[in-house]
Amino acid sequence: MTEGADRHLHPGTIALRFIKDAPQTIFALPAAVAVSSKSGLTNALYMAAGFGVVLLAMKWLVWRRFKYGVGAAEIVIESGLLHRNRRSIPFDRVQDVDIERTFLARLLGLAKVRIETGAGGKDEGLLDSVSLAEAHRLRETVRAHRAVESPAAIAEAAAGPVPRILFAMDPPRLLLSGLFNFSLVYLAGVFALLQTFDQFLPFDIYDPARWVGLADEYLPARWTFGAIAALLFVAAALGAIAGVVRTVARDYGFKLSLEGDRLRREQGLFTRKEAVISRRRVQLAQVGGGPIRALFGWSGLSFQTLGAGTDRGGRQGAAPFATQIEIEAVLAEVAPLRLPGPLELVRVSRRHIVRSLAGTLLPALVAIAALSYWLPLAPVLLALLPLLAAGAALERRFHRYALADDLLFVSRGVWRRRLWLVPLRNVQSLSLSRGPIQRRLGLATLAIDSAGASMIDAPRIVDLRGEIAEELAVEISRLRSIIASEAKQASAGSEAGLVVASLPAMTAKDQASGRKSGTER
Amino acid sequence: METAPLTPMDRGLLRLMHVRGAMAGAFLMAAAAVGEVFVDGLAPLPTGLLLGAALPVLLYLALLAPPRRYRAWGYGMDGEELQVRRGVWVRVQTVVPLDHVQHIDVSQGPLERAFGICSLVLHTAGTLHSQIVLPGLTRAAAESMRDEIRSRIREEPA
Repeated sequence: MTEGADRHLHPGTIALRFIKDAPQTIFALPAAVAVSSKSGLTNALYMAAGFGVVLLAMKWLVWRRFKYGVGAAEIVIESGLLHRNRRSIPFDRVQDVDIERTFLARLLGLAKVRIETGAGGKDEGLLDSVSLAEAHRLRETVRAHRAVESPAAIAEAAAGPVPRILFAMDPPRLLLSGLFNFSLVYLAGVFALLQTFDQFLPFDIYDPARWVGLADEYLPARWTFGAIAALLFVAAALGAIAGVVRTVARDYGFKLSLEGDRLRREQGLFTRKEAVISRRRVQLAQVGGGPIRALFGWSGLSFQTLGAGTDRGGRQGAAPFATQIEIEAVLAEVAPLRLPGPLELVRVSRRHIVRSLAGTLLPALVAIAALSYWLPLAPVLLALLPLLAAGAALERRFHRYALADDLLFVSRGVWRRRLWLVPLRNVQSLSLSRGPIQRRLGLATLAIDSAGASMIDAPRIVDLRGEIAEELAVEISRLRSIIASEAKQASAGSEAGLVVASLPAMTAKDQASGRKSGTER
Repeated sequence: METAPLTPMDRGLLRLMHVRGAMAGAFLMAAAAVGEVFVDGLAPLPTGLLLGAALPVLLYLALLAPPRRYRAWGYGMDGEELQVRRGVWVRVQTVVPLDHVQHIDVSQGPLERAFGICSLVLHTAGTLHSQIVLPGLTRAAAESMRDEIRSRIREEPA
């Protein structure tokens, strides 16, 4: 392939990068000079101007040496000032073409294009930035090529890539979702910001006397019931506002649509983000949310996709705030997934409570004993111990599982409720582990590994009765191998020229073999 | 999962575990010896206390622990999947469907070479156990397992 890289990025990129880098490069050193030496502001300004010119020249040079081109079967990117690099990305290896537009980029009419091959590294093909029209053209080019290559895509092209909206959030929904995202954490964030800039504030925010003084001014008696209620109310209102602002900024205009074999997600008020998720890369689904929104019947849906790059692998939000019915609808479209029936899930062993108490009660007792050495009142804390037991019982109540045909359901968590929907064909491995306490109690934990799972957020069924855990593992293995051999037969059939409904049942091996060869380019 | 009797590892692994345990213990002893010299000037501890404390640990690491750890290891492969059992305190049994294996390594460190054993490493696309390591196979066993798994991967439709 000898097509050259014949295109430059959009010239606006120079301005964009200049603005981005200006603060730390142009102003940092001159500012330091201005502060340390008395010679003053003018020198610093000259210095900043000089730096600015150099920086601009550098940006221009980088821009000039960065070229890309679209060949018949690949995208070529040439870059580097001294160390020249030429990268070819075959269309076959391109998994996704993502378009991201920050606020600044939108002002300039630019878009950042990320060409993903699934090779695991970051920035596999980053075009930062091109015009929006060019971004769309690139995406169309890659798609057109895929349509020629894969038979499934031909059907898709014949049907016409008519985007169908699966889920969207209108403003009322957005606001409601924001209220449920109530958060005091972001208030803390505001204080952190204040701390950073506190030398510019006319008062010391950490001066307790000032705050007490303020309280004294406004509140006749310092800690009356009314005052505390007012304070709590203000805190709650601020928390709610923080939640709404954050949610609106992130999820404004949230739209999930299906175009043939891809999911396209758009969201964001200031930074408009667009992501394309290949339906085949979906490994499993997770439904979850806090207990309060669950009480009102709301939850969020996300998909776990086969990892690619650091920021893209793992969880992809699909519907941040939706009803069960909406979630069912999205699930049915994306993969043969469904929500479990209300009575389908069963709890783990009753001894789960005993074990989690064994883990928490003893340290708590030791801590209280140690405290009572200094504080005579500490034994009062013993009254809190039944709470631990209640917590453990509650935990078990929400930890359930079920194996239904080709799906495994696992639900867990009291405060952060999560329900995993795992298609058995995507199970990478099963692990049955028994710790010392578990062995005493005849329990075992079954961990289900899947591609793209995060360490903490993987489905695990904790504290099953030993025999049940073993039966379950055997059963999962058995069903999984039946499904795998069926998929094999189906694809053998399609190779023989039969038209088989395009299953998103591509095994992870197939996908990742693409990933591997992507690395070898 | 417990049904099929699992194959134990090659005896070379046991010897390797003894040597590794002895090395860890010797390192600890050396640290204790250094500690003896330094503590001597600082605190009125009886001479040989640290060394005395380290000695049982050395014996445990070099002599007592390896056989238990060795016995905990086991593996079994039927046509479709590989089972691995390991762990003394936390006992773990892992089942890997062979059609999900991405690539396979056969590796051998200098110590392993001295005892005539290899490790077989299976990589899956999973993230929790993306590597499943089988230490202590003879070279022939590791290679024949690798070839068998590889042939299974090839059978899969690409």
